[in-house]
Amino acid sequence: MTSIDNQLAGTPRQLGIVSRHAAIYIGAMLLLLAMIFAGMCLGRYSVDVPRAMQIIWLSILDPARPLDAIDERIIILVRVPRVLLAAFAGAALAASGAALQGVFRNPLVSPQVLGISQGAAFGGAIAILLGVWGLPLLAIVFFCGLAALALVGFLARIDGRTEIVTVILSGMIVGAMFSALVSLIQFLADPNGPLPAIVYWLMGSFASTTWERAAIAVPGLVIGMVFLWAMRFRLNILSLDEAEARSLGAKPELERWLIFALVALIVGSQVAVSGIVGWIGLVIPHATRLLVGHDHRRLLPVSMLLGAAYLVAVDTIARTATSAEIPLGVLTALVGAPVFAMLLRHHYRERNAA
Amino acid sequence: MISLEKASVRFGPRTVLDQLSVKVEVGQSLAILGPNGRGKTTALRAMLGFQPLSGGTRTAPEIVGYVPQAAGINQRYSVLDVVVMGRAARLGLFGQPQAADFDAAREVLAEVGLLHFAEAMFDRLSGGERQLVLLARALATGSNVLVLDEPAAALDLKNQERLLSLLGKIRAKGDKAIIFTTHDPNHAFAAADDALLMLPGAAVLSGPVHETITAKHLEALYGVSMRLVDMPGPNGDMHRAVLPAFAGKVAA
Amino acid sequence: MNRLQMHGLAGAVALTALLSPMLANAQEINFTDQEGREVHLAQPAERIVTIPMPMASTVIALDGGTQSLVGLNPVSKTAIMEGILGKIFPEARDVTDKVTAANFVPNVEELAAVNPDLVIQWGGRGGDLVDPITNAGMTAMLILYGTEERTREYMSMTATALGKPERIDALVAWRDRVQHDIEAKAAGIADADRPSVLYLGRALSDLTASGSGNSYNNWYINLVGGQNAAAELEGTKPVNKEQIAEWNPDVILLNAFEPDLGVEWVYKDPILSLTNAAKNHKVYKMPLGGYRWDPPNQESPLTWMWLANLVQPDVFDYDLRAEMKSAYETIYGYQLSEADIDGVLWMDMQGDAAGYDRFKAQ
Repeated sequence: MTSIDNQLAGTPRQLGIVSRHAAIYIGAMLLLLAMIFAGMCLGRYSVDVPRAMQIIWLSILDPARPLDAIDERIIILVRVPRVLLAAFAGAALAASGAALQGVFRNPLVSPQVLGISQGAAFGGAIAILLGVWGLPLLAIVFFCGLAALALVGFLARIDGRTEIVTVILSGMIVGAMFSALVSLIQFLADPNGPLPAIVYWLMGSFASTTWERAAIAVPGLVIGMVFLWAMRFRLNILSLDEAEARSLGAKPELERWLIFALVALIVGSQVAVSGIVGWIGLVIPHATRLLVGHDHRRLLPVSMLLGAAYLVAVDTIARTATSAEIPLGVLTALVGAPVFAMLLRHHYRERNAA
Repeated sequence: MISLEKASVRFGPRTVLDQLSVKVEVGQSLAILGPNGRGKTTALRAMLGFQPLSGGTRTAPEIVGYVPQAAGINQRYSVLDVVVMGRAARLGLFGQPQAADFDAAREVLAEVGLLHFAEAMFDRLSGGERQLVLLARALATGSNVLVLDEPAAALDLKNQERLLSLLGKIRAKGDKAIIFTTHDPNHAFAAADDALLMLPGAAVLSGPVHETITAKHLEALYGVSMRLVDMPGPNGDMHRAVLPAFAGKVAA
Repeated sequence: MNRLQMHGLAGAVALTALLSPMLANAQEINFTDQEGREVHLAQPAERIVTIPMPMASTVIALDGGTQSLVGLNPVSKTAIMEGILGKIFPEARDVTDKVTAANFVPNVEELAAVNPDLVIQWGGRGGDLVDPITNAGMTAMLILYGTEERTREYMSMTATALGKPERIDALVAWRDRVQHDIEAKAAGIADADRPSVLYLGRALSDLTASGSGNSYNNWYINLVGGQNAAAELEGTKPVNKEQIAEWNPDVILLNAFEPDLGVEWVYKDPILSLTNAAKNHKVYKMPLGGYRWDPPNQESPLTWMWLANLVQPDVFDYDLRAEMKSAYETIYGYQLSEADIDGVLWMDMQGDAAGYDRFKAQ
């Protein structure tokens, strides 16, 4: 059996694994850089690559320089913040998906399963309806996302312990409830004012990204990512069964809720500026697991790199492929669903072959 | 040292543990025996601190080395990564294992004789090997208490022998308090100083192994006729073994 | 009674009997709506509900007042509150808008409460909009959006339903006259001389542009000698600012649906302010008269003339103020003041836009 093969394991295999992992990290980083580069150079308004590079370089040298020509403004004011926001959002969403899947020991879990996205969307819809913007909007979105989570926790609590299956079911209930509330708000909203905004934004879009909006969302995304990344080893522990995790010194209840709060922060920040962007948290960690295995010390950072590259690529397509802007949520679903199906088949084929 | 003092556990109207007192000092080894459903697992969980008590107290160190019956994970971690999880408690919420932690993990793997498997994938190992890895993980916590849930229960004879002799080695070093539950009284003979028999009803019998594990007590425990047999071991010394009376075949 | 008198009486009775069906029929109204449905009214409609947004103002205009209007679309209401129709017909402010959601889905309970004898509704958009009305036993008249022909047709139907078919003749004749006049003058314009015009259906909540296809905006842009900058789009679609920069329109038209949308929105935007339109001060918000000038309505020829003057100033020189005064007299029986006209044309906001001094009071 393989255990006999493994008896031959030794230094050569170690080196093999190490260099394979290094190759994956480098490959993912290069992919991300390539996508960012492509994102900054591509768009409906053609700017040739040398000129685009020149514009970016000049602005790096002197960030405060005045931008007078339209191609300068398009690159620096429209594309760069959008690409950066998409990268951060993709990374953060992938990290939250990976973390949730670890905590739930279930690969079919994502922020939408817990109802966080729907809660955040509800907060955003309310804020738009009230005409609230900026940090107040973000605060409302975050608190509604967290409220959704708290509701899930409350619903799932039995005998003072939270069972995982119950949490997932409660997440679905809460998610459905908030979705219904969003529909209600859509119904009440003035079709000349907030309604189209709510509808379009529920489909997810980075079209309205400016430096200001990016500045609102990025801190939450970064804080969430940094803490999740710091807990990457802890996630290995939390992904064990409850008794084992406890015996190793973890406090699974508390630590799980910390992860949930971080995920709410990430999802809230992202939803507040770009609506519901789905499938990233589901598909990217899966694909990454095929490459690097379950160890979160590798899964988390590589998921972040791949998630960023993926979302930048998809968003670039959304704004460049046709003259009309394709809603992002539609594209991520169209791409994500078949990719996920393929991953599932591969996963089960592999499992059954083992 | 790990102990339960007059510990009771009630699930609604049902009392599973009634004023149970158990104490295991460092250097001692205790085997817990009892029929299915009697509460061995509850007693173990109570000692591990997972089971809230309806009465009584528990004394135990911060971290207890726990070896579950089967691994909760079936995922692609390397064996070394599984063992290094044992270092989690001293790393805290945001800590990452350092070289020192990996060295400690390797040391423990060597102790259980699996160092050459360090880079192998955990989910590709056999059941016996996995059990040993989990034992290594529990040892890696550095706790001086080791609690095992039916170790060797699902193992073939070769791996049972391997695990039991490992437990024996650890016991011989005298620096751990060891507790394990088992269905097989011979395991108690092989690896324990004391035994706790959880008899049907609420009664418990405890004491040194040779006093508690007698044919009469075992019959009361399992409701099956038992025989004690003395036989020469592989090294010539005499071993005491326990067999159910229906073991073997009726001589013609 | 003598025999002569009896014959006379019998003859009178017989004549009356012969004529009475015709007399009775003179009250009844029957026509086919734009979805080919037979619409039957026992008498001219006296309680009309209008669900398509421009139709409230059309009914008021054709009927000379609000007496036959008992329900309208919330978005029609906002136009009344924000614009001049609420000033001309103050009672219009009190007509209920609860009978329908803004997305044209009717609220049957509220509809029943106002007891209409005719409900004007969009056709070609599915049964959800129509079935609740007909299932409740109410009479519906369905109209189709998009072309000038359809617009004239359904306005005529409305006049017929009101029992005032003569009211529409002058209006249709006027539209015809203006359209032919514009077409004749625009015939000689070469493609290269047609400025690109971009109409933004929504700008603040999200950004949409009207492409070619079934779009009235597209039609009149082409009519007056422009070309649609967003022609490659099918219908109304979301666009981003980069795409607008790429199109680089010569003229930008902002919708009249978003009250908070002003021309400075374009001038302040780092990308849009660099378009030809912004650089040449050719950014115009669609006026809000008896109804918003964007979609088809009874004032559409004013829209065409307004846009023609702005898009092809060398070819067209309509005296818009005089035309507006004459039109409002005919349509609403109202004398526009100079201040009224300035309000409709958003003079204080875009008075200094290119070509706008033509519209100023002399």
